[in-house]
Amino acid sequence: VAQAQLGLSFQPRQLALGGLGIALALAVFFTVQNQPEWSTVWVFGLAFGFVLQRARFCFASAFRDLFLLGETRVMKGVLVGMAVAAPGFALAMYMANPVILPGRFPADANIQPLGFHTFFAGFIFAIGMTLAGGCSSGTLYRIGEGYAASVVTMLGILAGTWLLGQTWSFWWDVSVSYAPRIWFPQYVGWGGGLLVTLLMIGLAFLALLWWESRTPVHFPHWTEATEEAPIGFTGQLRALLTKVFLNAWPIAIAGATLGILNAFFTVYHHPWGVTGAIYQWVTSLSGLIGIAPGELKGLADLGGACNIGSETHDQAFGISHDSMINMGMILGSFIAAALAGEFKLRFPRQLRRYVQSLGGGVLMGYGASLALGCTLGAFFSAIPSLGLNGWGFGVGLLGGAYVGVKFIRHIG
Amino acid sequence: MTETKRTVKLDARGEICPYPMMKATEAIEHAQEGDVIEVLTDHPPALITIPNAAVKLGWDVAIQRVASAEWKLVLTKSRA
Repeated sequence: VAQAQLGLSFQPRQLALGGLGIALALAVFFTVQNQPEWSTVWVFGLAFGFVLQRARFCFASAFRDLFLLGETRVMKGVLVGMAVAAPGFALAMYMANPVILPGRFPADANIQPLGFHTFFAGFIFAIGMTLAGGCSSGTLYRIGEGYAASVVTMLGILAGTWLLGQTWSFWWDVSVSYAPRIWFPQYVGWGGGLLVTLLMIGLAFLALLWWESRTPVHFPHWTEATEEAPIGFTGQLRALLTKVFLNAWPIAIAGATLGILNAFFTVYHHPWGVTGAIYQWVTSLSGLIGIAPGELKGLADLGGACNIGSETHDQAFGISHDSMINMGMILGSFIAAALAGEFKLRFPRQLRRYVQSLGGGVLMGYGASLALGCTLGAFFSAIPSLGLNGWGFGVGLLGGAYVGVKFIRHIG
Repeated sequence: MTETKRTVKLDARGEICPYPMMKATEAIEHAQEGDVIEVLTDHPPALITIPNAAVKLGWDVAIQRVASAEWKLVLTKSRA
């Protein structure tokens, strides 16, 4: 079995940086304690960001590597996460309101209209994330790690989001207004809806196994060259700290952790997503120079999860508490990176990378707002919401990743 | 028979995902007999993706941290 020695060690200066990050996280926590929910949402954001960084968990990698490498590792982690989250989501929706009525959908679940726009949005989003080397959540966590390119990507995401805001009416008229919301429990009840979702995830997993088997040459996976077994309490403790804070997390554990966090967050608040806060940022920023997109046609009737342009009444310090998730993710990732000695201000050396990052971001911003969610809101949190829309967006993502891989190979 | 040992140095620092891995794979595919490839990267995911790709192509990997968030991956063709 092939072996690789990994160069991992705690870095004192970066540990100090991590300590500063933790101090900042605590400072924010205590500052917002008077606002109901804010401190809890902040902690969730930190946790999401921390886990994403530790596992290098990225939806861009999950989809892209299927075509770039014939590899399914990260996608399997994604499926595990959705399978773990689904029962929690079902429970949350059931507890909120157990009665299923035609035409009525849980307010705090990601059941978005499924139409042509969904596939198109997934398609362009995935091209964007492949070009930029990260999806929306990936961009946030990489900003925390110090990637300058990801800051450029975020600017692109803001621009793309604004563009969609300006062109939304077109999409409402040609697709969204008559696109159905297909929610499994309405057809087969709560248990049936959960079962169908889990079966589909299972089938997707089998499809991944088949996809992997197509690679003709398949060497065994490498293992870390083992060091001596840890001795004594301090030895054991050090080994544990190394596993959590230094080594990359196994993808299935990370997926399951994110799925559980997502389920808890859904019970507490609503499904995990970053697009809503990004739309709010765009509205605020563009409003400063008087070019804010108007109210998004039709969304007010679709309920909370779908109305990315909604006026949030829960505002303080000039921002909404959804922003605490996004910002918590950045800081959580920063803390994780610093503790692992992985924080660094990274600047690409070729101009083309900045162009890719910006262009990719624009595509992502447009696609995520069009689908009313990104790889989180319209996929990772949509499938566990027991609807069909997440699967539709996923199909679009597959197509876009396929095309995106051709682009990044060509750019070189 | 003497093997001329040539070290191919690839500085992939600053590269965005997935170029560190793509460039490393390219280097492996163009490597000549006896070459040793040294990849410099500051991209943590590459510490997984480059060994995965290298092992698939029959190469061994040794990683050392050379700076705060920078690693050198030394790739050598497996003897097996």
